[in-house]
Amino acid sequence: MNPTRNARPVALGAAVLLAAGLLTGCGPAANSTDDADGDTSLDWKLTTETAAPSGDIDSFTFASYSEPYSLDYAYAFDYSDNQVLANVCESLLRLNPDFTLSPALAEKFDHPTPTTWVYTIRDGVRFHDGAALTADDVVASLSRHLDPAVGSSWYSVYQNVAGIEKTGDREVTVTMKTPDSQFNLSMGGSAGVVESAATLAEKGQDYGNSTGLVNCTGPFSLTEWKSGESITLTRNDDYWDEDLRARSGEVRFVFMGDSTARVNALKSGDVDGSWMIPIEAVPQLRASGKGDALFAPSTAVGDLVISDLEGPLGDVRVRKALLLAMDREGMIQASARGVGEVTDVFTTETVWGDASEGARTAAFDDISSYEQNLEEAKKLIAEAGVEGEELTYVTAPIGNDFAVISQATAAAAQSIGLTLKIESVSPAAYTALFSDPSAREGVDLFYTSWYLSSPDALEMYSVLRTGEFSNYGNWSNPEFDEVVNQAIATDDPAERSELTAKAQQIANAELPWLPLFEGPVPMFLGERITGLDPSMAFLYYPWAATIGAR
Amino acid sequence: MTTTRRVAGKLGGLLLTLFLASLLVFFSRFVVPGDPVRFLLRGRKPSEEAIAQVTAQYGLDLPPWQQYLKWAGGVLQGDFGRSLQYRQDVSVVLGERLPVTLTLVVMAGLLIAVVGLVLGAVAALNRGRTLDRVILIGLTVLGAIPSFVGSIVLIAVFSVQLGWFPTFGSGEDLLDRVHHLILPSIALGLVFIVLVGKVTRSAMVEQLTREHVEVATSRGLSRWTVLRRHVLRNSLGPILTVSGVLVAGLIVASTIVEAAFGIAGVGSLLVQSVDRLDFPVVQAIVLIVVTAFVVMNAIVDILEPWIDPRSAAGAGAR
Repeated sequence: MNPTRNARPVALGAAVLLAAGLLTGCGPAANSTDDADGDTSLDWKLTTETAAPSGDIDSFTFASYSEPYSLDYAYAFDYSDNQVLANVCESLLRLNPDFTLSPALAEKFDHPTPTTWVYTIRDGVRFHDGAALTADDVVASLSRHLDPAVGSSWYSVYQNVAGIEKTGDREVTVTMKTPDSQFNLSMGGSAGVVESAATLAEKGQDYGNSTGLVNCTGPFSLTEWKSGESITLTRNDDYWDEDLRARSGEVRFVFMGDSTARVNALKSGDVDGSWMIPIEAVPQLRASGKGDALFAPSTAVGDLVISDLEGPLGDVRVRKALLLAMDREGMIQASARGVGEVTDVFTTETVWGDASEGARTAAFDDISSYEQNLEEAKKLIAEAGVEGEELTYVTAPIGNDFAVISQATAAAAQSIGLTLKIESVSPAAYTALFSDPSAREGVDLFYTSWYLSSPDALEMYSVLRTGEFSNYGNWSNPEFDEVVNQAIATDDPAERSELTAKAQQIANAELPWLPLFEGPVPMFLGERITGLDPSMAFLYYPWAATIGAR
Repeated sequence: MTTTRRVAGKLGGLLLTLFLASLLVFFSRFVVPGDPVRFLLRGRKPSEEAIAQVTAQYGLDLPPWQQYLKWAGGVLQGDFGRSLQYRQDVSVVLGERLPVTLTLVVMAGLLIAVVGLVLGAVAALNRGRTLDRVILIGLTVLGAIPSFVGSIVLIAVFSVQLGWFPTFGSGEDLLDRVHHLILPSIALGLVFIVLVGKVTRSAMVEQLTREHVEVATSRGLSRWTVLRRHVLRNSLGPILTVSGVLVAGLIVASTIVEAAFGIAGVGSLLVQSVDRLDFPVVQAIVLIVVTAFVVMNAIVDILEPWIDPRSAAGAGAR
């Protein structure tokens, strides 16, 4: 009844990533908080493409901050899993670096009735083991998300699904219980991956782990997974899409949880690149002359989740006051060396691709700005009559930015006469905040970096409807729910974007969470390689295929 | 008391210790906050049926004592359950990583034994002189360096600056692996070299001032013979005792070094598994470390009388 989309916290991903920042930063991280004059700001701009390769290359190596949990697409849910899987397994649709969707294993899709999606399966595609792709493979792959024994991470995408059937030799029809524009939009991500039915049956419980591996259709095949150490992909010479034929014979991912180790490997040239490098390491990496530190467009927004609306933050005036009291520019300076931008909404413009001009203006211009204003904030607090009240903020020893944001929030609260009690818990306990209501008891707010997996801003707002799993404070606004539900049932992208913009305006005015800032994905591309279009779509797009010799 | 009975008694104590340790290791999980199934969700919305199914798959729906019996029964047959994070048998996950950690521990152990014994012995033989002081001060300084600092310095100098060693990984074949593990084993060994060096020195100094050594020397035996027969042999007891602690300590300390050098060993796995609430893996590793510790101590206990007959005589008389 209340479908949750696949928007989610980067609880673990960001956790590890940011821990990286803390450890690497040794010197630079420490003084960035002290230098108020902006000396530590990094020079940065978004990069959306790099020079085309001069030719093919035998192999290159990327470092990952963590080992994938699983390469079973049903569980591939975080940076570390998806950055690998995106090059090996393909979905019905493809999410491109510019966040558009194009046909992939489905050469086309039709939408004959509001509740049916019909996918025409591409002919002539072969799995890595040589077997031909059939409609049966598609049915078997998608149906797994409905199987409770699998416990798919992408269940939320499927919860409006009534049936998945083969309706022709090369045709699969998905029937929905209610109209759902978002289902099809999710078919460009892991929720739309197609695996060989025979492989699924043969590998059973070991499918997608380091011994079972996977058998898909992507530009690379998964040839080796040395548990705890590395994953090797090998070019698929039979690949169906000439435009994305891999330029490298091999790609190796090495797992380096320790950020110092990761940065050293990049500096020494032992590793050719990495997504999500610690921002603190950018100056050293630039100085090493071993490649380029780039900033890729992202879909993530850093927010403070309001998890208790029974307390003082239940009053919208208090939420506004707290946001108005924050020095968000200073936060970006201290936590990310100035890389990022303050935002008052919960989505980035990257996910508004098909929006109408009117919707964009409504969503990003016709909104309230919460630029720091202590006078206004104090006034709101006085009106609400909550001076002297105490709030509980939960954080974890995850990274410099977690520390900076918690301290800055405490300072903001204090400046308007509130007390903020900071509780530090283990990273695992912090992760539990996102799935376990009992972990959130007595907690007023916590920080998250929340990214979207489908190219539609609506994904974010569907999460904030009444009763949703990730609506952590049980915020409820009937008008908002109605607008979002209407948008979900709207197929026309422009029309839908106007409804989504309305949802964004309501959320911006009501502040169920406090939006802080958005920032790009910092990454490193070594001097040997080029041809990458940096984008957060690296989670679902076969980005490694286009990389070749510089 | 006969040797057989003594050994049997030791073995009985060993089994009892292991049994108690297994209870502690298993049930400690229920003290830790957090639900493993909730962890498996990683913030995603599950269906109710899926939660029930996953709970049953991992046997988490059984009462704790049944879970223990199932787990302990499995462990006795080499089955440590299934890792939550890797969705794989724990024995497979450990099987891939134990060889790396064992190689690292053996290399560090050799380094510790050779360097520690030599430094300790040299210091003891020169006690009170400059060389002794230099060694003692050097050891104290080394002992104050935490392994992670040692790791960072070693990588910065020998890998990044000089490029002599790889910055990460554990290598492919044996030679490559040794090459990869040289810096990590130095980083791992530092603290323990100090321990062995100091124990060796004090044990030998104690022996050197003993009457029987002076008597032996006065009888005109060569210095080497005296050292070998009387000093070294009698010093071995304390050194061996320390070694028992050392092996378990090395496995535990390897966590930091493995993380710093990006080595896929048991140590880094332990850290990761604790953080990810992967109880089956944590339980297996802790049990293995505890077993290694207990067994090493038992071996030292059993061997001691042969090395130093006085301790057996003392035990019998009591």
